Amino acid sequence: MKKVININFQGRVIPIEETAYDILKQYVDSLRRFFANEEGRDEIINDIEGRIAELFGESLKKGDTCITDDTVNKIIASMGRPEDFEGEESNVKSQLGGEGNKQQYNSGYNAFANDPRGRLYRNDTDKLLGGVCSGIANYLRVDPTIVRLVFALMVFGAGTGVLLYILLWIILPSKPLVSNISSKRLYRNPDEKVIAGVASGISAYFDIAVWIPRLIFALPLVSGIVSSIFRHSFWWDGDPFPGVVFGSFGGTLFVVYAILWAVIPEANSASEKLEMRGEKVDLNTIKNTIQEDLEGFKSRAEKWGGEVGEKAQEWSKDFTQTVNEKGKHFSSEVNYAARKTSGGVFKIIGFIFKAFFLFIAGIIAFALLVALLAFLVAGIGVFPLKNFFLEGFWQNFLAWSTLLLFLGVPVIGFITWLIRRIMGVKSGNKSVGLTIAGMWVLGLISAGILAFMIAENFDARARDKQQLTITQPASGKLIIKVPDSKVKVYGRWFKMDGLLSITDDSLFLNNVRIHLVKSNDSLFHMEATKYSNGSNESAALRNIKEMNYGINQQDSTIWLDRGFSLQRGTKFRNQGVVVTIHIPIGKRILIDRTVQRRLNHFDVNNGRNDWDSDEDWNDNYGWDSDVEYKMTAGGLERSDKKVKTVDESQNDEDNSNQGALDNFKKSKEDLKKEFEKKQKEVEDLKKELEKPIDSTQYHYKKATANNAPAATKTPEATTQLEDILDSHMLLMQMVL
Amino acid sequence: MDIQNTQSQMRKGVLEFCILSIIRQGEVYPSDLVDRMRAANLHILEGTLYPLLTRLKNAGLLTYRWVESNSGPPRKYFVMTDLGLEFYGELERTWKELADAVHTLTQPAEEQPAELSTEETQPQP
Repeated sequence: MKKVININFQGRVIPIEETAYDILKQYVDSLRRFFANEEGRDEIINDIEGRIAELFGESLKKGDTCITDDTVNKIIASMGRPEDFEGEESNVKSQLGGEGNKQQYNSGYNAFANDPRGRLYRNDTDKLLGGVCSGIANYLRVDPTIVRLVFALMVFGAGTGVLLYILLWIILPSKPLVSNISSKRLYRNPDEKVIAGVASGISAYFDIAVWIPRLIFALPLVSGIVSSIFRHSFWWDGDPFPGVVFGSFGGTLFVVYAILWAVIPEANSASEKLEMRGEKVDLNTIKNTIQEDLEGFKSRAEKWGGEVGEKAQEWSKDFTQTVNEKGKHFSSEVNYAARKTSGGVFKIIGFIFKAFFLFIAGIIAFALLVALLAFLVAGIGVFPLKNFFLEGFWQNFLAWSTLLLFLGVPVIGFITWLIRRIMGVKSGNKSVGLTIAGMWVLGLISAGILAFMIAENFDARARDKQQLTITQPASGKLIIKVPDSKVKVYGRWFKMDGLLSITDDSLFLNNVRIHLVKSNDSLFHMEATKYSNGSNESAALRNIKEMNYGINQQDSTIWLDRGFSLQRGTKFRNQGVVVTIHIPIGKRILIDRTVQRRLNHFDVNNGRNDWDSDEDWNDNYGWDSDVEYKMTAGGLERSDKKVKTVDESQNDEDNSNQGALDNFKKSKEDLKKEFEKKQKEVEDLKKELEKPIDSTQYHYKKATANNAPAATKTPEATTQLEDILDSHMLLMQMVL
Repeated sequence: MDIQNTQSQMRKGVLEFCILSIIRQGEVYPSDLVDRMRAANLHILEGTLYPLLTRLKNAGLLTYRWVESNSGPPRKYFVMTDLGLEFYGELERTWKELADAVHTLTQPAEEQPAELSTEETQPQP
């Protein structure tokens, strides 16, 4: 029992079994696909359909009630399936393709009659630019993609590819050629893609699992993640991602992907998809492919969208299309040949645009990930310090949940997503995503609470002023230095301004600032102001009590402590020290380079508790290290001479400066002496020249027998000498 | 070397020439064309013939006219154009040269193309 339907076929109503209709439909579709690239496709299909309709009519005339599977199959057999005329077609095409002029027919005919390999041509039927690559591929009987790849690589090898290509473009004649490779071809797979289907196309070509090429392409990303972790661990202030993305290894793979994208064609039609997998193109396989396509489409529709890569790609695709269309429109007005070529050029420009946009999108996504990782690593880095920051169980708990949930979860989520994409795993159920999102929100909340609680601990601020006794320098000049620490700590896990070192039970801070003010009397004074935050006044004061900061004096040099330490149990509450130096009028001060290098000022809540605006600090002066200043009635002034930078190992600066000055003076005197000597010589020469000309001439002639123009040169020589003299005088004036 | 492949290559080479020579004799309907070729023991699938005719027509070698049919939709009858005649002339010349060459070279043992040539070239004036 079979269902019979009526179809309108070529203007006739035909009663046909439903199954027979399916067969017919599939057949016509397969033909349509087979002739997809044919110029007169619709006409050919129409002719064939017309003939089939005629045969149907004959069958019905014979007395059949309807068209059966059998009839359809018989007709199809006599018409031939695409796979049957595959071989014949290709040859027919070679004779008839292209513009259809007589010469081409003949040459095609002859080419067939003789050696089909024949000569090297540019391929007119399959080309990106001038068809050079596919022509060579045709000659060598390899996949054009491979030849294109070789050329693309040659472009990067000092651009030889470009020259060679242009040369071949000029030399080789163009001819429509037929693809003569029957095996697998390298295509991009549009059904299974993360970016452009390059990796899955490669996997189809080499018969390997799709995740292998994907992993290789994703390697720079993975290695970037790893290296960024390391970078962040050791150089906190580094900016790793340009290095990762543009780094030689990562960059190369990005470029390779972009080239492959541009060079490998996308498998769009069913037969191309089969060629990609190396399967024989026949109706059944085409049918299977189409069914797969539909299923793939269905599942793809269910995929969660909004992925950056795809968005970017879509956009760039639109853009490419517009560019292509615009370009084609414009150039079609020029002439036919130009249009063909520029079409190719625009295609390539389009590819470049595509790759470029994707590259940008990739960088943005990558930067986001790295930023997240940076936060995570920073969090881990700060963790050894947590005992100095946090108070009690709750803060510790919140710190952990912040670190794990707020920072860790997105990173893990992203990595999972990446791995799934690489492995081609379809996204799982929604609840996983929701759980992850929920955990992240929890992390966000705990981060907020933690920030609030820590801020509470910094609420109040106290300071304690303490006089430091110094003896007045005999020279009237004070030099401020900071000694080298005896213990040097290398390979710090984490480096932060103001923090010098951390050991198990103490935190060493060098949060020290120097203020210079005018002294009220004729003496130098120094005082250290220690300050700290705390949850309340008394807590802040308690924190101050723990701090110890002092100085040492050696004649006119004052050595400041490198910092102060916080014992375990004392919390870090933005402790700091301000050393105030009162300078009497007429006295000088020099702050050594070591001060700026070894003391490091920072202030956590600078804006809120601005002690700088206290009345005490109003007359504070700015200073540069290694510059000698003199206090005047009007304020701090630079001494006239900029003191030469002295190596810090040299303690006796004055002497070395004196030495330098002495050297200078000595060399000056030497110069003077030399000048006087030269002057004398010149005078002598001048005198000689001023003697009666005849004798001079004679003298010169005698001295240099061959020097005929010597006589005429004499006056010139005189002026030259005078010039030299003048310049010497000028030099002398400058020196003195 | 695949013998079948070589044979089909040989056949295909002269296919176009044969089709043109049939059309040259007068208006023809594609399916009749297939029958005539089959009668001459030269098999061709109709599915191959239609695209070939379309291309020849697009190249200006053939033209066609619609003829009403009582057994189905209107039929396309193909006729040769002047350009087609000229083209055919050249093909014929080439074929004669080729056939002579093949004939001379394969005198002791006669081959398929020689056999074809006698069949296909005879009806021509």
